[in-house]
Amino acid sequence: MMSEQNSWIIAWCNSISFLSEIPGWAHALLALISTYCLVIVPSGALMVYLDRKISADLQARVGPNRAGPAGILQPLADLLKLLQKEATKESSWRQNVWLSVHTMALYSTLAVMPLGSMALLVDTEMSAFIPFWSALVLALGTMLLGLSQDSVPGWFGGIRVAAQTLAGSFPALIALLCVGVRAGNFRWSILANCQDFSPWSWTFLSNPFQFIAFIVFVMSGLVLLAIPPLDGGVSMSDIHGGVSSHLFGRRLSLFRFGRFFGFFFWSIIAVVLFLGAWKLPLQVSEGLRAQEAFRFLATIELIWLLAKTFFLMLFITWVARVNPRSRVDQITDFAWKVLSPFSLAALVGASICAGWKAFL
Amino acid sequence: MTIISSEPVRADLTLWEIGPYHSSLPAPMRLKLRLDGEIIAQCEVETGYLHRGLEKACELHPWRAAIAYMDHLDPEVAIFGELVLCLAVEEIGEIIVPPRAQRIRIILAELSRISAHLVFMVRMAKAVGSETIVHYLLRDRERILDLFELVAGARFSLNFLRFGGVSADITDGFIERVLDVCDLIRIRIKEYNDIFTFNYGFLKRSSFVGKIDPILVKSSGMTGPNARASGISFDVRKDMPYIGYDQFDFEIPLGRGEGGIVGDAHDRFLLRLREITQSMELLKQVSDHVPIGEFQNEKIDKEYIVPPGEAYARIESSRGLLGCHVVSDGSPCPSRIQLRTPSVANLLAIPQFVSGIRIEDLPVVLASLDLGIAEADR
Repeated sequence: MMSEQNSWIIAWCNSISFLSEIPGWAHALLALISTYCLVIVPSGALMVYLDRKISADLQARVGPNRAGPAGILQPLADLLKLLQKEATKESSWRQNVWLSVHTMALYSTLAVMPLGSMALLVDTEMSAFIPFWSALVLALGTMLLGLSQDSVPGWFGGIRVAAQTLAGSFPALIALLCVGVRAGNFRWSILANCQDFSPWSWTFLSNPFQFIAFIVFVMSGLVLLAIPPLDGGVSMSDIHGGVSSHLFGRRLSLFRFGRFFGFFFWSIIAVVLFLGAWKLPLQVSEGLRAQEAFRFLATIELIWLLAKTFFLMLFITWVARVNPRSRVDQITDFAWKVLSPFSLAALVGASICAGWKAFL
Repeated sequence: MTIISSEPVRADLTLWEIGPYHSSLPAPMRLKLRLDGEIIAQCEVETGYLHRGLEKACELHPWRAAIAYMDHLDPEVAIFGELVLCLAVEEIGEIIVPPRAQRIRIILAELSRISAHLVFMVRMAKAVGSETIVHYLLRDRERILDLFELVAGARFSLNFLRFGGVSADITDGFIERVLDVCDLIRIRIKEYNDIFTFNYGFLKRSSFVGKIDPILVKSSGMTGPNARASGISFDVRKDMPYIGYDQFDFEIPLGRGEGGIVGDAHDRFLLRLREITQSMELLKQVSDHVPIGEFQNEKIDKEYIVPPGEAYARIESSRGLLGCHVVSDGSPCPSRIQLRTPSVANLLAIPQFVSGIRIEDLPVVLASLDLGIAEADR
């Protein structure tokens, strides 16, 4: 299944002579692996560093400053420390099974990840919905991971995560429909192309209902994936981190990175849907396309998209640092009783706006 | 010590035992919770994990060493343990304390109270998972610890009070620095209120949670800020004045239920915040009236042996009524030192009012009680 959209990978492969002859499936595999290794993992490291450093500035303390200049190697040091930790307890086979289900659910979204006009591996009319199914499978995996631990914190963590996911997915789906109503499709490329570089053309500013939809989408994502401050399922103070309370070392780093990945992925989707996606100013992308500088185009689109994503993530982290963690019953209440009605109102309003425009 | 509530055991409830070390517990203790879903149906409290035999240790050493031991009654607020022992001994020995020493004692006690309440707020913030305010609070508490270091050379275990006075005079400029710290904290309290006290998320977590009834306060013998938050006006500084508190004009704040209802966790938080303000007012008044003169009764030296007799002294520590019964038989060591610590009553009350709260509220409620396990187990 080769499409012209992953031509950047082909171009890259062609530049290395021995890779030019490989079949299509290998190109796709290569695209996935390189996305994971060159985009996701470095983004994780960068976000951990930025998060720790900026939080330290907010909280009147120094932050990491020992590992490398200005503590820049701190994420690496954290990772190495977690990897070399000795297992203090034999883990059950169930824990391994559910951790792998959890991980697979997470990384299955890698293929649908929109990372730029040149880096869309799966761009179908249903693309924008696929992350939701992944999130639901993820919640199931997380719940069973918690339940398999034979401990009260694990049970509570698992059930809480499942409850939050169910509560958060409804408003998130409705908010996604609002964008689809404006764009007329759920293809990543079409969702992105109905916006432009200027913020005034971004979906979230196109009308008040889309603005509501944006707020609902971001907040319900926090509920759906249990991201701070709406992370009662993994609360440290009462249930020792819930699902992760019995994970340590490698497993814990896998779990934590998975949680980061969920947050990251959700922010990327929010940026693509509402915040102008990867659109560059002044016909830059048309110019580069005309000159067939696909790799350069893909790179600057990716950088621009990630810059907006990091900004959104840091904004959410900033709010989370200051505000207390909400209780799970309050979070689910909020999702069902506040986010859901608002999302429905936004859908009605967005539909009327879209119809009005079509009528004109 | 095991405290069991009177409800019958039900087989359909989950048993969850947490402790002695758990992130929702402020200090080593054990809770046996019977859970109905996530709601606590029944709770048993077991303490004693921090028992150090403090009272017995005091009997095995000379009188002066007892002061150093009392530092560790509650390591966060060392001065109150020292103070209550000194008051009891001074009553037995009829020792006259010079006015300057009295004022220094008030200053140290009120600074300790502010510091203890700041730490209380830290625990509260940690219980609800609000990180930023924790660092702000600890930063400001450092200023108070700096003052302790300036006056006593130590930041926690001061070992500064002596029978009949204090061990050293305050240095020049100390009073001014105290006032500077008060001014600083007055500004910072505004910040705390903006960022945390009336934060919607914090209000949602702490108001209407863990309400303590005035009847329960009386039946369990709770004192201090927890009792005052429930509307019981009792403060040893006002009702049984010591070290000259009666010469100053200050108000005892009572719970008003601004965030939710009177006596809930948020009310206890607010009350301590107001006590900080009130302590600063008191410090301002005291600092104008520090007379020049002796800081220690000259008749009392290192080898002082307390004459036979017994006395009971009580003070208002940051957690409530702290009592100390001292018996002397004229020997170089105390015959008996017995303490009445406020945290015991708070622990006793836990099983009576936590039924019905969710386990997510448990850390908030426990933090709002400001339990000092060190002084309860002693």
